[in-house]
Amino acid sequence: MPDLRDHEEVLRQAVRRLAEHSPFAESMAATTHGETVSVDSKSRSTERPARISGAAFRAWAGDRWVEGATSSFDPASVRSAVEGLLPALRAGSKGPPPGESSTTVGRADTPPGRPMHDLGTEELVARVEEMRSWIGGPASIKVSFAQVQWGESERLYLNSTGANCFQRVYRTHLAIGAIASENGKTQQEMFGAGGLGGQELLDRVDQHKALDVATTVVSLLSAKEPPTGRMNVIFDPGVTATFAHESFGHGTEGDQFVRKRSYLLPLLGKSVAPEFLTLVDDGSLPGAWGSVAFDDEGHPGARTVLIDHGRFVSGLYDRESAAAMGSHPTGNTRRAGFLDRAFVRMTNTLVEPGDRTRDELIEEAKDGVVLERWLSGMEDPAGGQMQIKVARGHRIENGKMTDLLGPMALSGKVLDVLRNVKGISGASDFEMTPGFCGKGHGDYLPVGDGGSYVLTQAVVGPA
Amino acid sequence: MTAPNVESDAAFRVADRLKRLAAPWDVFAERCRKYEVHLSAGRIELVRGPVQIEGYGIRVLRPHDGTISDGLQASTDFSDAGIASVTADAEANAKFTKFPARSVELPSTVQPRAVEIADPELWKDPAAALDRHVTQLLHSVEQEPGTSVTFGSIKVTLSETTLANSSGLAASYAHAFVQSEIGILNSGGNDDSAPGEYWVVELERRLETPQLPGKVHDWARFARDARRAGPPPNGQVPVILPADVLEGILPGALSFQFSGAGRLHEVSPPEGTVVGPEFLNVDDDGLIPWGVGSGPFDDEGVGQQSRQLVQHGSTKDLLCDLAYASAIGRTSTGSGFRRSQFGPPSWYRFTHSLQPAQSTISIPGGSGGSDDELIEAARDGIWVQQLGWASPSGSTTAFGGEIRIGYRIRNGKLAEPIRGGTVGGRLVTPSDQPSLFRDLVAVGRSPKLVSGVSVPSLLTKGLTVSSESAAAATASA
Repeated sequence: MPDLRDHEEVLRQAVRRLAEHSPFAESMAATTHGETVSVDSKSRSTERPARISGAAFRAWAGDRWVEGATSSFDPASVRSAVEGLLPALRAGSKGPPPGESSTTVGRADTPPGRPMHDLGTEELVARVEEMRSWIGGPASIKVSFAQVQWGESERLYLNSTGANCFQRVYRTHLAIGAIASENGKTQQEMFGAGGLGGQELLDRVDQHKALDVATTVVSLLSAKEPPTGRMNVIFDPGVTATFAHESFGHGTEGDQFVRKRSYLLPLLGKSVAPEFLTLVDDGSLPGAWGSVAFDDEGHPGARTVLIDHGRFVSGLYDRESAAAMGSHPTGNTRRAGFLDRAFVRMTNTLVEPGDRTRDELIEEAKDGVVLERWLSGMEDPAGGQMQIKVARGHRIENGKMTDLLGPMALSGKVLDVLRNVKGISGASDFEMTPGFCGKGHGDYLPVGDGGSYVLTQAVVGPA
Repeated sequence: MTAPNVESDAAFRVADRLKRLAAPWDVFAERCRKYEVHLSAGRIELVRGPVQIEGYGIRVLRPHDGTISDGLQASTDFSDAGIASVTADAEANAKFTKFPARSVELPSTVQPRAVEIADPELWKDPAAALDRHVTQLLHSVEQEPGTSVTFGSIKVTLSETTLANSSGLAASYAHAFVQSEIGILNSGGNDDSAPGEYWVVELERRLETPQLPGKVHDWARFARDARRAGPPPNGQVPVILPADVLEGILPGALSFQFSGAGRLHEVSPPEGTVVGPEFLNVDDDGLIPWGVGSGPFDDEGVGQQSRQLVQHGSTKDLLCDLAYASAIGRTSTGSGFRRSQFGPPSWYRFTHSLQPAQSTISIPGGSGGSDDELIEAARDGIWVQQLGWASPSGSTTAFGGEIRIGYRIRNGKLAEPIRGGTVGGRLVTPSDQPSLFRDLVAVGRSPKLVSGVSVPSLLTKGLTVSSESAAAATASA
């Protein structure tokens, strides 16, 4: 794998050149290599990430940022990208940009004990084939599939105030699943896992999990339609994780405060949830899918408590929003890639475990539904609404879990759902789930979310 | 309208250096320039670009146990060493790939088809055109009382696509994408209710600056109405879905089930399966002017066309690329596209693998009349203006999402705004179960081009609405 630090000098010169015309300039270079192996009942493929690397350049033009990028480290290409920004910088005033400029110098590279690149394609293909074979199942299973994707990514951040942050991140993700079809009805089930690490993550899929997938997808063919309306709902750990992300993730991104787009802004410092609920974003969580050593403004990844025992105490900030809020950057500025702009983004967002058990929550709910296996989520930072879609669930009747239910969507006001939380199950149920998050309808990047079982109330219907 | 010239020869340059590579192979290349303006709290926050990228993807097709396997790799490195590395990666990938195609014959020529996908005016000076557009947007918003832009981004991408292969094909075209995402907020005034936002997301082929005042007026109305919206009714009620909502449902729900991939995996309904009423026709039109999936040919060099997915209520064609066509014993429908997993194309594509996919899902105008006539026919139901995220499933066709803004229909007229709750169901189901298609009541008269669809409003009674409200609408329509 090419080392980005081989290009440090040309990038440093570019930042210096921009700083001749701007009070502040920075660059973020990135590259990735890795492999994806996908196997299904009919086909198999191996792919490697495109051989693309490059750098983004950003400089302050007095009242706005100007930005360019190049997909080559060839000095002429870098020069061309930089020179293209100079007219806008010359036209701007020389006032400094808002917020704190990083002066962090650091290097983060902790390879896993068993890196994926040591495995070799042939062995990896055999492992993925084996994972798929575990699904087996009856004739109604039309498709079974397995996929392993790994990547080793490098990022190098430099700025005109001396920051120099290099990180190498090792991510591995795997998924198994099946599609069953009978009498024209089709259902899908899958299991996924991922995090920072190497071959050890492959052990998260075993025959037991594969059998669960096969059994569940066949059962879903005769699943009942969910009830509709407002009711007691229990989130499984993955749904709680999505809830953490959608409820107090996007709405606490500091740029939403600056835009006056977050309904949460007036609630800063106030109680928004029961005292037993704490929600954090933690970019420093060891091994978690969304962890970063440094963000793309050169600030270290960090733990930020958003809701502390029910009280909304902080947002997530880049340099500009931190300045506007009288706070400090929280290590949450991220670019999807060197061709994409920087935004305030989440890293790993989670609801901390409570002290109840799942069975206690089901008993307390008495009637309602358990929402299981999240598919997607979306928040409305301005209106305070959110939606979560799940692949399946169970009915709760008389304090017992009963019928299997098909896909459902949840909708509700974030604050209502939060304030109605009646209990959270303990650490033994806690799970981190890997996912991809967009800012609006683009800029997808890896984020982790976490939680255990949560009992609350919301509107639920089929989806 | 004269299409802009393609100056890039990227695929041809790479192909020249693959002369000694065993056939078959193809090279797909793009040169893209992207111009962006980002808005925050009504001001310009960031100006980006042009962000430029030029790269290529090489695909090799290799025999393997009586079938054909492909291997792909992509790069921005046009040096001899770079091309050699990419070719080696593609060969290595092909070695481990297995696919049940028997033969894949790459086209040697493609019949040129004129399709409007690049606005020469935009091409002349994209930065200035974008600047005019943003100025008009901010001015139009200023004209709307109590209305502001919370955030926004307008991104213009100009692309030159070139394609070459071992059969001698050398083809190219120019095209453009405009992505707009804008938060329109209504607040203040005599109304002490919380602010309301309408979240605009559009993908188009050109900047529609002259249309902005009218569009902004509508967006401001939706944002204003969101402030006083109540919950929708509960239950299975007549629902009208306009093109703006169907855009989030139809492409995602149809693209797998109605493709060679769906048939190969035994998930597609057999040809001739009745999925809707006799008056339902669904096409995938690759030549519709300004369609985001339109183009003279697909990403394998097969001419684009219109494909009939549903004819008179029954399933018909399947979207196929060359490999899937061979695997299921059909011919390519010019539907082989390089797409990201996150949606329609809008930026460089040479890094993506090929798959059969839709161009523009289109439903011809029906006999349901104007939107007002559809509303009258619904009698008692809801009009959904925007869903949070329909999140359609390609394998099951299930979809559902939160109602961001919509309107109650009472006595055949639009009444108070609604918001919250969910609406969902399936697009295609077996005969004994409800679905959007199966329970279609009427197809509106006038198709509207919105991102990946060109469809009229549809009135259906096959969806379930779930809400805070205890009240159920009385089923009619």
